[in-house]
Amino acid sequence: MLIHKDMKMAEVIHLNHHLLHLINRFGIQLGFGEKTVEDVCADYDVPLLFFLEIVNTFHDPSYFPVSNMLQFKAGMLVDYLQKTHQYYLEFKIPELENYIKRLLSDDSMEPEIKQLLSDFFQQYKAELTTHINKEEQAVYPYVRALEHFLDTNNDEAEFIQRLKEYSIHDYEEDHDDVEAKLFDLKNIIIKYIPKPKDSRILNVILHELFELEKDLNNHAHIEDLILVPIVEKMERELTTRADNSLI
Amino acid sequence: MQSPVEILIIEPSFLIREGIKTLLSQMEIAFRMDESDAVVHNLNRLIQKSNPGLVMINPSMMKENLLIKRSDPELSGVFFIALVQNDLPDALSSQFDALLHLCASKTELIKETEEILTKAGIISSEKESNTLSGREIDILRLVALGLTNNEISEKLFISVHTAMTHRKNITRKLGIKTVSGLTVYAILNKLIKTEELKGRL
Repeated sequence: MLIHKDMKMAEVIHLNHHLLHLINRFGIQLGFGEKTVEDVCADYDVPLLFFLEIVNTFHDPSYFPVSNMLQFKAGMLVDYLQKTHQYYLEFKIPELENYIKRLLSDDSMEPEIKQLLSDFFQQYKAELTTHINKEEQAVYPYVRALEHFLDTNNDEAEFIQRLKEYSIHDYEEDHDDVEAKLFDLKNIIIKYIPKPKDSRILNVILHELFELEKDLNNHAHIEDLILVPIVEKMERELTTRADNSLI
Repeated sequence: MQSPVEILIIEPSFLIREGIKTLLSQMEIAFRMDESDAVVHNLNRLIQKSNPGLVMINPSMMKENLLIKRSDPELSGVFFIALVQNDLPDALSSQFDALLHLCASKTELIKETEEILTKAGIISSEKESNTLSGREIDILRLVALGLTNNEISEKLFISVHTAMTHRKNITRKLGIKTVSGLTVYAILNKLIKTEELKGRL
């Protein structure tokens, strides 16, 4: 079922409560009353179409964003993606770390096994952080600069030079290893921990890992399906302008 | 993945044809299906045309006195299944390789279809083992210790290609993709000792 503008926001949450985190990223907080999605977006000054594309992409992973998505401002998209990064680094990962700490201090398993899990998680965290930093330091500034340039036309020569050295295609690299580590961590916990005395804390950790994975998949999905096409369009526009100015 | 089985179905009811497709899909059987809802006058010609490995036929769709001449070369390699509501008289049922009872419950249908497809040699009754072979355990130990495919091939006197095939099978069986994940697995299962890693992890 698609989420549409005339649904009550409260119904959206009843339909899929995982959307709460996404909605928060737009600055929208609880207490929706009887307001519709459209009303709430208006209250918080959130572009309605953009909001709908984001929540629907998450709600139904087979949903393909179409409605005028190339009209979205790249800056708006980058704002959203940066909010999700913040959520991972400032909320989700620390939360997981707390659970790992609790695991280390209980007596559910042998210390070596707990340590092994904890080390593996730390490796995963390091890789995820590196990946996020790369996007924050290289990809997003590039996208913002490209949009700024197309809006203002400043420093054309410099920017065209920059495009020769870097384009969004360089970024369509692998999220692969980070994804694979998370996949492995889940399977190790599900299948290969030698019978813990008590698996409650492991259950919680697993649950968090599944949630994180779903969110990360959606993040990558939005980058591939929305961000990359928008940036490609901007790059084509830049190339066309450059060609015209040479004539 | 095996190649899809070619099925010819001769059955007047659209719902039954669709139901059988749904059943096969749910059983994750790969198939291609030719469908006919007309009474059969010339079975041999129909089979030559669609060249199936499996024919599912509602016996009431066979013109009176029509026999499946199993001695005919075009019919010899084909497996015939009668789609029936109740058991058939022996004289009739002996023409078919198997009967599929359409009124059975879902569980019974799946069981019966599995038996039929096994008899027809389309699915194998042996489930693939998910436990690692001795050779795979040798390879896994070396991967976990941080050796590359090249190093493993030299050490075990196998080709790099063979080493890679083993690694793919290990990953598929265990559901673990990364080297560090395999290392954790190897330690948990006491295939290697933490000391052997010398700070690799």
